[in-house]
Amino acid sequence: MSTATATDATLPKEKTKKTSELKEVLKHLIRNRAAVAGLVIIGFFLIVAIFAPYIATHSPTSTSLVTRLQGPSAEHLLGTDELGRDLFSRMVFGSRISLNIGLISTLIGVVFGVPIGAVSGYYGGKLDIITQRFIDIMIAFPGILLAIVVVTVLGVGVQNVMIATGIASVPVYARLVRGSVLAVKEQSYVAAARAAGLGDFSIIFKHILPNCLAPIIVQSTFQIATSILWAAGLGFLGLGAQAPTPEWGAILSNGRAYIRTAHHLTTYPGLAILFMVLGFNLVGDGLRDALDPKTR
Amino acid sequence: MSDTKPVLSVRSLKKYFPIRTGVFSRTVGHVKAVDDVSFDIVPGETFALVGESGCGKSTTGRTILRLQGATGGEVTFQGEDVFSASGERMRKLRKDMQIVFQDPYSALNPRMRVGTAIREILSVHGVAHGQEAQERAEEVLVRCGLERYHATRYPHEFSGGQRQRVVIARALALDPKFIVADEPISALDVSIQSQVINLLEDLQDEFELTYLFISHDLSVVKHMADRVGVMYLGKLVEVADKADFYREPLHPYSQALLSAIPVNDPTEKKQRIILKGDVPSPANPPSGCPFHTRCPHAMPVCKTVVPKLKKTDVGREVACHLVHPPEEEVPA
Repeated sequence: MSTATATDATLPKEKTKKTSELKEVLKHLIRNRAAVAGLVIIGFFLIVAIFAPYIATHSPTSTSLVTRLQGPSAEHLLGTDELGRDLFSRMVFGSRISLNIGLISTLIGVVFGVPIGAVSGYYGGKLDIITQRFIDIMIAFPGILLAIVVVTVLGVGVQNVMIATGIASVPVYARLVRGSVLAVKEQSYVAAARAAGLGDFSIIFKHILPNCLAPIIVQSTFQIATSILWAAGLGFLGLGAQAPTPEWGAILSNGRAYIRTAHHLTTYPGLAILFMVLGFNLVGDGLRDALDPKTR
Repeated sequence: MSDTKPVLSVRSLKKYFPIRTGVFSRTVGHVKAVDDVSFDIVPGETFALVGESGCGKSTTGRTILRLQGATGGEVTFQGEDVFSASGERMRKLRKDMQIVFQDPYSALNPRMRVGTAIREILSVHGVAHGQEAQERAEEVLVRCGLERYHATRYPHEFSGGQRQRVVIARALALDPKFIVADEPISALDVSIQSQVINLLEDLQDEFELTYLFISHDLSVVKHMADRVGVMYLGKLVEVADKADFYREPLHPYSQALLSAIPVNDPTEKKQRIILKGDVPSPANPPSGCPFHTRCPHAMPVCKTVVPKLKKTDVGREVACHLVHPPEEEVPA
């Protein structure tokens, strides 16, 4: 109850503060060349994803056995696959799916993992022991195996892949955040906040979590890449994106069979995944520095 | 002063930390950080708690503010029982009792502008919101010797002394009546120490503050305090008015502490009382008087009977068999 009034009371003026704070962060992000490079890369993929129907030269699913396994040419910019589908168009449409998988599954991991870890670390005691043993069980499974279990339960499909990879990353966040919270909650400013009469909710979200941001951001940039690769793995096992759906991981694993004769089927999707991951990593690093008042 | 009603009274305060070992975290013993401590503080006075590191001074301060749960005892603040106060009641009490921390570097959230931190406290207690809160935050910073524009700064942009001013400003923002100053100057440069001490004294006069001043620096205590309580191994061994204490300490431990203060006269020959040995482990304190292992005047009875803090004929409080002959004591 006390926390509700606390947050309500601080809301209106926090708003005015937030805009200047956001400006400050953006200013410092833009000064960081590596972060700008990352923003350009992500921006590029975003534009491709949004305007996919206008950029693609062919339908991503129409087949043509006459033109199968062709190398790059003027007609087919990145060549064709084993069913004669245009690889460029498939990848353009695939960017929508892969971006979604990377972002949404990471978001699921953050939204559930961070509060679980924060509460577990902040309150400690029996709650912490029970939560952490549960997390132990989840971590004992390899992430991909956990994702397979979840997909099996939920059913096959791109949406369920996002949920599955998201759930598989929850224990990683929970453990990571718990560790940071354990360190931060011993700082005297947390005791000061308690002495000032702040509620647990305000203490966790305003005083503890902002000081745990750095590892969360770094983990998230890695998690986006990992999610895309997990999704590709699930696709390879037939549990992810189904046959004609142009998902990068699926394209990559299909192309594996032709790697000796038509390497473009693995090279270009591989490069696309690499650049997208690089983009998120660069922005993540920049964001971590821009959000820390000390490194500004 | 003693006829005024105390603003804070502490009765048999105990804080034991369990020692746990093994797979099942079995409790094998307790560190008695604070063991049966009682004292009163009257409005407007500065009560100093002194003692060496690990004697339980800071734990006493933090337990009084309920930043740590107490193991036993009772704390009454302005007539209200602090330990049994419910959530909403406790929040109201917190408005009147604040703390200034030892290390100004860890006492401020590095991700929060100092103005925001002070505003947050003001709005939690419904004292002021929005622009009004900002105004008050700036005013209290100015009162503590900083500038208005400092409100938009982050903690790392301040020096150590300035940070401590911010910490004091934050504690003062709610217009409290009682402040626990937990070694507020021991992390600062000597040149800054005097500024902060003067600030604390000025604020005390201006806002009629009551201080629980925790320190190991007896020279500073001599300057600041009205009354002094000496702690040893979690127990209060002597409580006295400052003048009496510095003129004639009664407890042998107080005598040893006072003899260690450097004098600013190189020709003066001082009788130093050098204590033998180290402070015993608080997990395994000596039987009887906790000080008997190091006391130059230890008697056989000191090993078996715990001396209680009692008033002498002239109204001074001390826990020692030398002052209160043991036959008066009830064996513990």
